Amino acid sequence: MKWLRNNWDQVLVALGEHIVISFTALAIAFALSLVIGILAARSERVFRWAIAVTGFLYTIPTLAFLALLIPVVGLGKTNAIICMVAFSLMIMIRNVAIGIREVPSDVVDAARGMGMRGIEILATIELPLAMPVIVAGLRIATVTVISVAVVAAYINAGGLGTLIFSGISNDFAPKIWVGALTSCALAVAADLSLAQVERWLRHRAD
Amino acid sequence: MLFIEAWQFIVAHPGRFADALTTHVALSAAALGLAIAMAVPVGVLLADNRRATLLAITAANVGRTLPSLAVLALVMPLLGTGFAPALFALTLLALPPILINTCTALRQVDADLVDAARGMGMTRAQVMREVELPVAMPVIFAGIRTASVQVVSGAVLAAYIGGGGLGDFITAGIAMMALPQLLVGAIPATLLAIGADRLFGLLQKVLTPVGMRAT
Amino acid sequence: MSPQRIFRNLIAGTAALLMAAVPATAQVRVGSKNFTEQFIVAEIYAQALEAAGIKVERKLNLGGTLIAQKALEEKQIDLYPEYTGTMLLVVLKAPSMSDPKAVYDKVKAEYATRGLVVLSQAPMNNTYNMVVRPETAAQYKLETVSDLARVAKELKLGAGPEFRDRADGLPGLKSVYGIEFKEDLQMAIGLRYQALAGKQIDVVNGYATDGMISALKLKRLKDDRNLWPPYYLVPVVRREALEANPQIADVLNRVDALLDEPTMAAMNYRVDGEKEEPKDVARAFLKAKGIVR
Repeated sequence: MKWLRNNWDQVLVALGEHIVISFTALAIAFALSLVIGILAARSERVFRWAIAVTGFLYTIPTLAFLALLIPVVGLGKTNAIICMVAFSLMIMIRNVAIGIREVPSDVVDAARGMGMRGIEILATIELPLAMPVIVAGLRIATVTVISVAVVAAYINAGGLGTLIFSGISNDFAPKIWVGALTSCALAVAADLSLAQVERWLRHRAD
Repeated sequence: MLFIEAWQFIVAHPGRFADALTTHVALSAAALGLAIAMAVPVGVLLADNRRATLLAITAANVGRTLPSLAVLALVMPLLGTGFAPALFALTLLALPPILINTCTALRQVDADLVDAARGMGMTRAQVMREVELPVAMPVIFAGIRTASVQVVSGAVLAAYIGGGGLGDFITAGIAMMALPQLLVGAIPATLLAIGADRLFGLLQKVLTPVGMRAT
Repeated sequence: MSPQRIFRNLIAGTAALLMAAVPATAQVRVGSKNFTEQFIVAEIYAQALEAAGIKVERKLNLGGTLIAQKALEEKQIDLYPEYTGTMLLVVLKAPSMSDPKAVYDKVKAEYATRGLVVLSQAPMNNTYNMVVRPETAAQYKLETVSDLARVAKELKLGAGPEFRDRADGLPGLKSVYGIEFKEDLQMAIGLRYQALAGKQIDVVNGYATDGMISALKLKRLKDDRNLWPPYYLVPVVRREALEANPQIADVLNRVDALLDEPTMAAMNYRVDGEKEEPKDVARAFLKAKGIVR
């Protein structure tokens, strides 16, 4: 289509912004959920509390969440990233905790019997074995985050949503198509690649 | 305090708030209803065809990854602005979780149960109605629950394409930097989403056949 | 790869990407509100400044008047295009006035107390024009907004997110003309004319320089009771930014003097009707005037 041919640079910039904020949010969410998830794996109380809080955050409608953050952090990328992290935490914490819990206890016992300390067991046995489940959670979080980033363009966070909002502003369908379809393609591509990683990890764990 | 000002805004504009709230609930309920009416029968019809079921699940999985705003935006050039296009888009958003859960739930019904029922002389339709569907209900309702939160959340975005609803207060609040008005949109929308989640969670529990309930 | 190495690579990768994403520091950040004319004018300002050797970062599509004002006051942008009437009624929340010079002087003085400089007005008054389809005008014999008041109860209005709350919006129509519409719909500003053409709404709060008004042959209703003040286009600049780059004043005043209503309406039409990109339309304008090559 003509618009895309003449403005592919605009699309690439939007795509780049989209990927950067999504990736940043996921990295932060991953780090946070590892810490909280490990604690939740050990303690039922922490697990329930963490899931309750992050589960609540997850139900807040996207635009509402972004809007509520405006008085606190203003507009822009920071706002969007906080929202994206908040939305990803529930699924990631849950999967880290469940992944670790599902590691067969005899494997852990054997390791302890060999004299390994807690941290060593965590790093070299539990986490690696939990990886498939953790990545499964990461996969869902990735799709969520990409979707939030589309809306976040409304509060000036950049990304593919800017094409959509701009297209709606001028009632120009090709721009809307390009923005919408590219974000769909990005979400699907991310989902499929992570599905592959998940499959590979499960294969390795067997 | 902001919450008090938000309340005052509602009191000052009762008609506007009532309109937005009614539209939001109407959009969400209608979209959910339509999606259930389409996805569950399709899931049931495909239950015996393993390949078709897998195809449906794959397609729905792709549909599930699509960003909500993208779906709303794609519908706009085709159907214009207003309630109907928003309803169309929201229904599309609600279909995948319900279809996936219906298909997976029916597939997971214990084959022995089905055989036993057949052995008792039930027809295919009877088996579906009296054995498979009841057993599949909890998982189907889990899908409906997910879809309901998605739809309430998506309806917030529908305001942008003239669909009305609580999102109007959020966009107006952003435009006029009126935080109380923003809250008038954001808080009820959140409460609706949580309410929908709780409601269907409850229904899910109530509809689980007693024999299948976890202690 | 072990989890530790994956993790370490993740952090390193993130850092690299983040550094790539941070933009080089610009001297001037140009903002805009979220409708076509704003995109075009902001691009005109930006490209004119760039032609004068100033590095510009664009922060367009801010969600509304007061959020743009907030962005200015919180130093997130350095300048954006605004309209004197809007500044008077919406930002300053002052009573309406009808003399263009009086309005300009008042907003200039008041804004100065907030550390904001109002540069010269462009010779274009982008006031509100209530518009209807030609058939609607013929059917109800509509010439003025007072005529509209007679039949408003049968018509649906469509407007952007600010109109319901602005003093010069629905509240103003109610208090000065006694207008109550059958229904008022809120939508993205850029969707109003599509909805009007598609008969989803019957009345739009048009902007005088909207390109689609002539294109769709819509009937503009006369503001017979003078509800609306003048809305002359002005650049609003942060004083500190102006002191750091004094040429801003010259550059912007020069382009502003060239923006009259027919010129602006034609440019608006090129974007809304012919679907050109605002930045291309801005560039063509500046080229024709010899400001860029």
